[in-house]
Amino acid sequence: MKPAGHHALLACDVFKEEINHFVTASPPWCAAVFLEMGLHDRPDQLRQTVQQRIASLEADHPQLQTILLAYGRCGNGLLGVRAERCRVILPQAHDCISILLGGRAQHDAVLKKNPGTYFYSPGWIRGKRVPGPDREQHLRELYSERYGDDEEMLDELVDADREAFAHHNRAVYLSIFNKPAAENYCRDCASHQGWEFQCLKADPSFLLQLINRDWNSDRFLIVPPDHSIEADSDGTLVARP
Amino acid sequence: MNTLEDLKTAVINGKRKEVKAIMPDLLDSGFEPSAVLEQALIPAMSVVGERFKRNEIFVPEMLVAARAMKEAMAQLEPRLVAAGIKPQYTAVIGTVEGDLHDIGKNLVATMWKGTGFEVIDLGVNVSADAFLAAIDQHKPHLVGLSALLTTTMPAMKDTVAAIRNAGHTDLKILVGGAPITDSYAAEIGADGYSRDAASAVDAARKALAA
Ligand code: B12
Repeated sequence: MKPAGHHALLACDVFKEEINHFVTASPPWCAAVFLEMGLHDRPDQLRQTVQQRIASLEADHPQLQTILLAYGRCGNGLLGVRAERCRVILPQAHDCISILLGGRAQHDAVLKKNPGTYFYSPGWIRGKRVPGPDREQHLRELYSERYGDDEEMLDELVDADREAFAHHNRAVYLSIFNKPAAENYCRDCASHQGWEFQCLKADPSFLLQLINRDWNSDRFLIVPPDHSIEADSDGTLVARP
Repeated sequence: MNTLEDLKTAVINGKRKEVKAIMPDLLDSGFEPSAVLEQALIPAMSVVGERFKRNEIFVPEMLVAARAMKEAMAQLEPRLVAAGIKPQYTAVIGTVEGDLHDIGKNLVATMWKGTGFEVIDLGVNVSADAFLAAIDQHKPHLVGLSALLTTTMPAMKDTVAAIRNAGHTDLKILVGGAPITDSYAAEIGADGYSRDAASAVDAARKALAA
């Protein structure tokens, strides 16, 4: 195995719990960068931020050869991203939900059967953005910075936000390892929203393979140096010069 | 007295109650409903869309602006009807199967309603069969499909194919949603694409004129 000094990890913060769970002793990389999960709300900004961090990893670690991305296509936010000198490796996945479910087919199956599903995971829960008992308070704090004591506006914002989840009817907790606090929190969220709850055994294979350098070409895209991440028309991620 | 600029500002800032008060004032003082729409409401939604893209506002703020816009439309519609302006075209719109995102689709529906379309909104998670049934029932000139997940882009493709295979080869189909592009629209056989609600009106007119 190549020394850790040739590898770096650039991950969405949403995977922090899972990655820390699997990587116990000495990490298989010389640098690990976690980027804020809120970036996903704006695919263009996500792309810029990932691109900048790749450039600074390459600049800061001259011996680096491989950058592992714990990201999916993320609403096209990863398309166009490239490294100059290093190769980049990422799962063939739509988003963090497909990554935690272990693949596209599993994701499609859940959505087909229960389109009203909203997914939770330890990272999503830590991000404080999930629908549940604390979301309203969180939004009020966030917006009171901008709207001060305009209570009417704050009420309107909270109400509009609640309406945005009207089509959902089920909370699914994606469990990769046993974390009762997060699972129970998800259960509370479901009852707060009046939704059905299900704990689904998630599939660690994408994250494990990424960490263990088992980059099977069906499941991972290997982007050569100076190539960018693109998608072809059936949704498969491809590398283009 | 209120101006079109006041209305635009109120919509941008999501001040639904202000909009509710400004609208009758504007309409009673002689502003044409079409001017209200084209000079205040549509530009307001363009500004909101730009601000969202530039990271200056978040989704709930966008929703609040959309609600204010809806309030204005609710007051505009009876005026349009009273002025004898009948919808010129019928459109069916919906978010494709498996996808529950509807903020963008609702904005497009609102814009179309304001600009000469009767709009039948099928909601979210709409199967190809449900689109076909609605097409048979309403005989629309235009169908709009929305998809926000790359996971549901194949459902958009399948829906276009199902519509074409059912013999509706001349029916205009417009597609949209954040991951959709011009080239994807062309590839799946749609007649047009637009990246935001303001240009969705032009895109619809262009497709219908073609
Ligand atoms: C708001 C939002 C939500 C809300 C939706 C509320 C609602 N009622 O719609 C909530 C929180 C409920 C939600 C849920 C989920 N979401 Co979401 N969501 C978003 C977000 C942040 C913004 C979408 C939005 O409303 N934008 C504002 C509107 C105005 O813009 P728009 O939709 O693009 O529409 C404009 C144009 O595209 C165009 N347009 C749109 N439709 C049409 C149609 C026609 C005919 C035309 C002409 C034009 C047109 O005009 C519109 C107006 O200007 C996006 C990220 C992003 N920035 O796109 C993620 C995003 C789409 N969601 C994502 C995910 C992962 C999810 C969940 C799976 C999360 C979960 N934990 O379960 C669920 C999925 C539910 C489901 N089955 O659909 C991912 C999708 C990744 C992927 N696979 O593609 C995204 C891209 C975020 C990310 N980068 O990871 N989401």
